[in-house]
Amino acid sequence: MPPKRFTWYNGIGLTLALIFALFPVLWMISTSFKPSNEWVRQPPVWVSGDATVENYLTVLWPSALLEKRGGLTQYTEGGEQKVAEQTGVGGAVGDILNKSAWQAIWGSVILSVFGTALSIIVGLMAAISIARYRFGGNTTPFFILSGRMFPPIAIAIPFVVMFSDVGATDTYWGLILAYGAVTVPFSTWMLKSFIDDLPKEIEEAAMMDGMSRWGAHLRITLPLIKGGVIATTLFIFILNWSEFLFALILAYTKVSTIPVQLSKYFSATEGLLIGVQAALATVSIVPLVIVGFFIQKHLVRGLTLGAIKR
Amino acid sequence: MAIKLELVNLRKEYGALVAVNDMSLKVEEGETMALLGPSGCGKSTTLNMIVGLETPTSGDILIDGQSVSKIPVGRRNVGLVFQDYAVFTHMTVRGNMEYGLKVRKVGQREINQQVEKMASFVGLADKLHRKPAELSASEMQRVAIGRTLVTSPQILLLDEPLSNLESEMRHQMRRELHRIQLETKQTIIYVTHDQIEALSLAHRIAVMNLGVLQQYDTSYNVYHYPRSTFVGSFLGNPPMNFIKGTLKSAGGQRLIEQDGARIPLPSMKELAGVSDGAAVTVGIRAETADIVPLGSPGSFEAELFAIEPQGPEAVVTAKFANTLLKVVVPTSAVPKGSGSIALLPHANLLALFDTQSGVRLMNGAAS
Amino acid sequence: MSSQGRVAARGFNPNDKKYIGGLLITPIQILLTALLVFPFVLELILSFSEWSPVQGIGLWEAVGAVFTEDLDQGINYSVLITEEPRFLEALGRTALISVTSLVLEFLIGLGLATIFLKAFPAKRVFFTALLTPMMIMPVVVGYTWFMLLQYTGPVNQVIGWIGGSQPELQWLNTGFLAFFAVVITEVWHWTPLFFLILLSGLNAVPQNPIRAATVLGASDWRIFWSVVMPSMKGIIIIAFVIRGMEVIKLFDEIYLLTRGGPGTATETISLYLYKLAFEDFRLAYAGSAGFIVLIITVVLINVMLRPIRYQLLEKR
Repeated sequence: MPPKRFTWYNGIGLTLALIFALFPVLWMISTSFKPSNEWVRQPPVWVSGDATVENYLTVLWPSALLEKRGGLTQYTEGGEQKVAEQTGVGGAVGDILNKSAWQAIWGSVILSVFGTALSIIVGLMAAISIARYRFGGNTTPFFILSGRMFPPIAIAIPFVVMFSDVGATDTYWGLILAYGAVTVPFSTWMLKSFIDDLPKEIEEAAMMDGMSRWGAHLRITLPLIKGGVIATTLFIFILNWSEFLFALILAYTKVSTIPVQLSKYFSATEGLLIGVQAALATVSIVPLVIVGFFIQKHLVRGLTLGAIKR
Repeated sequence: MAIKLELVNLRKEYGALVAVNDMSLKVEEGETMALLGPSGCGKSTTLNMIVGLETPTSGDILIDGQSVSKIPVGRRNVGLVFQDYAVFTHMTVRGNMEYGLKVRKVGQREINQQVEKMASFVGLADKLHRKPAELSASEMQRVAIGRTLVTSPQILLLDEPLSNLESEMRHQMRRELHRIQLETKQTIIYVTHDQIEALSLAHRIAVMNLGVLQQYDTSYNVYHYPRSTFVGSFLGNPPMNFIKGTLKSAGGQRLIEQDGARIPLPSMKELAGVSDGAAVTVGIRAETADIVPLGSPGSFEAELFAIEPQGPEAVVTAKFANTLLKVVVPTSAVPKGSGSIALLPHANLLALFDTQSGVRLMNGAAS
Repeated sequence: MSSQGRVAARGFNPNDKKYIGGLLITPIQILLTALLVFPFVLELILSFSEWSPVQGIGLWEAVGAVFTEDLDQGINYSVLITEEPRFLEALGRTALISVTSLVLEFLIGLGLATIFLKAFPAKRVFFTALLTPMMIMPVVVGYTWFMLLQYTGPVNQVIGWIGGSQPELQWLNTGFLAFFAVVITEVWHWTPLFFLILLSGLNAVPQNPIRAATVLGASDWRIFWSVVMPSMKGIIIIAFVIRGMEVIKLFDEIYLLTRGGPGTATETISLYLYKLAFEDFRLAYAGSAGFIVLIITVVLINVMLRPIRYQLLEKR
């Protein structure tokens, strides 16, 4: 077929799609630099002429913000109330702000890293078992998948009951277990698809040469699917970093995550802290966009459970 | 007979690569022409240009004397059958066969009539409701041919039509194609890398190599009078024997000498303008030399090397100087024992080539 | 092989296929049994009570009560189905949001994918840029559209430019508009995945049937619908099943966008369950609803997975 030409209406369609795809992100970034008097204004401010990094300071470095404003230099338990007033934000909200952003970031990092590790280790073992030993026939893989099919909220209800009964709510270990369980179906299926791509004969040849099955998996299979394991790890990291519901219902005060923090800003102030929220949101998507860019070609495989491999 | 298709200096370049190099030929109406050559020789590119799937870099394509270069693909009224058949797997046999007619907005009654006629012509009358997944390879091939023929194309182009079939089916399909050829009197262009297919089905053969048309002639001539060592080696099984040597004269007799061993040449017009000392290659088709008693006039000697009986015939391999020759002789003529044998080439089928260029030495007037 | 046989004769063989296969699958079985099957059973049992943590009754006491006490078992279920329109409405709303979003995502994704079959400058840059929404986490997506759809936000402003006067659209506070706000957000977020899947499908369509149809004289449009799309059938089903599985769980974006409001205008089944369990603390009741949802999901997913089960399991 002669190559089809790119027409002017293709160009218009593509441009509209590009604007639709990027505008919300750009708006969020733009808002994160707006001073508080431009957060809600009629007509809205597109790009602030008066751009400021104060929103970021509020999230990441509240003490520096205070210093800049010439307010209290002390950042102590007792000073919180005044600190908050100085940043122009009222009492309880200021409390959330100053303490929780780093707690949330830290919580997101810990839960994502360990939740991902758990998910990958357990998933990798299961993937080898399914791909190479057909363990449990077709039932086991679909049993595993079922964990991902149910609306998480339907699982979450008894989950919360059980967790509070064993004292696992609001703890890192409890949430790590939950994160691992929620993402393990994805990691199993994605890793399985990478192992399926690898001819069985490679391992069999090694076993002919006297290697044990364990040795063959560790020294032959694993190094050969290294790229796939890395891609899966990053993919699961994205899922964990984005997890919201389980953190929302299982974490209260000791543990927090960025998504929960974002929703709390919102609920506590009914939109007043738009710029600060935008700053935290912008910070939170940076790792996602970077990681997502690196595993771009594996995203489809992950999201389609390995059904589409391109 | 009218000229159906004419290629005029047809050329296709892909960057620096010349896929088809200024090719010119004419195909008469009702004839079958085979485009023969090894893979990558440009035959499929030529086919695609005729159909319109590829645009020539330069040159022209004429159908019935009219240039079709400006006519887009799909409007040239030529039919192409693909090597992998390219049947529409989600449609029934009927759906496939209807497709071209529906595109042409033929009425449904007319379509049904024509499709049923075509289905029985290609032997699929009872399979119209089947899906391609339920068909054998040769049946899919018939679907592809029927789908194309039902649109009554000016020219039917077949791209390697038999190469995806097993050998049993291949014979059957070759007979089938022969029947279609006879009954439809279609002008057919047939791309193949298999010389047997070309020789058995085509009236004329165009031999291509590296984008260049090597020889275009009747099947008989292409086989018996190859224009170059390439054509000689590409056709025939075993291929033509080539003996490189130096042209000499001894006692008014021209001969070819290789490492002291000699082959006497019959008197040939081609030799008129070639002087002694020229590097010349002798071409002898395997079945155009007889084993004769030693010392027979016009014969030359060679060492018996191997004998492969093949039923009625046998392939005898002999060593002449440092060249291995293969000749096919009736089993009754197979020499016994070992040692020297004498070979007598058929004088009229002996070919001489310029060693350097590989081009056949022609009678000055004819070439 | 012979050494394997010898060891097996002694009864235990660490190199045995069954042993290794079983051992490797154990951790996931434990994890999923503890964190999936067990809560699931618990939910089923509790769903026959009217337990709520605010009653001051312990969990195990409540579980025990289901078996020992003469409760009006099954009342939760009959109430949900006969007397609680909110539940059935949430189910219907989830279906409506899912179908609308998926159809839009499919159409836009398909249009974009066909453009990407052609050659144009900076294709790679466009490609990466168009995938951006997919990489952003649901909560941020919800929050971003919350900003955009504010009464004083840029969406209203742009509509004003096109329409001539500033439309006073209360996107998030008007039932009908809030529904669209949810759909737009969902479409924005996940069209890139449809686009990616469909593009990979289009690239895998065999070329010769297309060429054959071209030679037969079919127009591009006809070829697209009669040859290309039918051979995309499998991949289109995959796209819908995979996205369908996710969209019926829709929660995060709506939680930030409208919290299911105004009223119950955007209350999907997930939000409904969330409110029952964690705002009203009617855990047992929510559990019953959750259990019904589970059963519906299982049936639905099984029906949806049937056509691609083979593709998911078999090596290709």
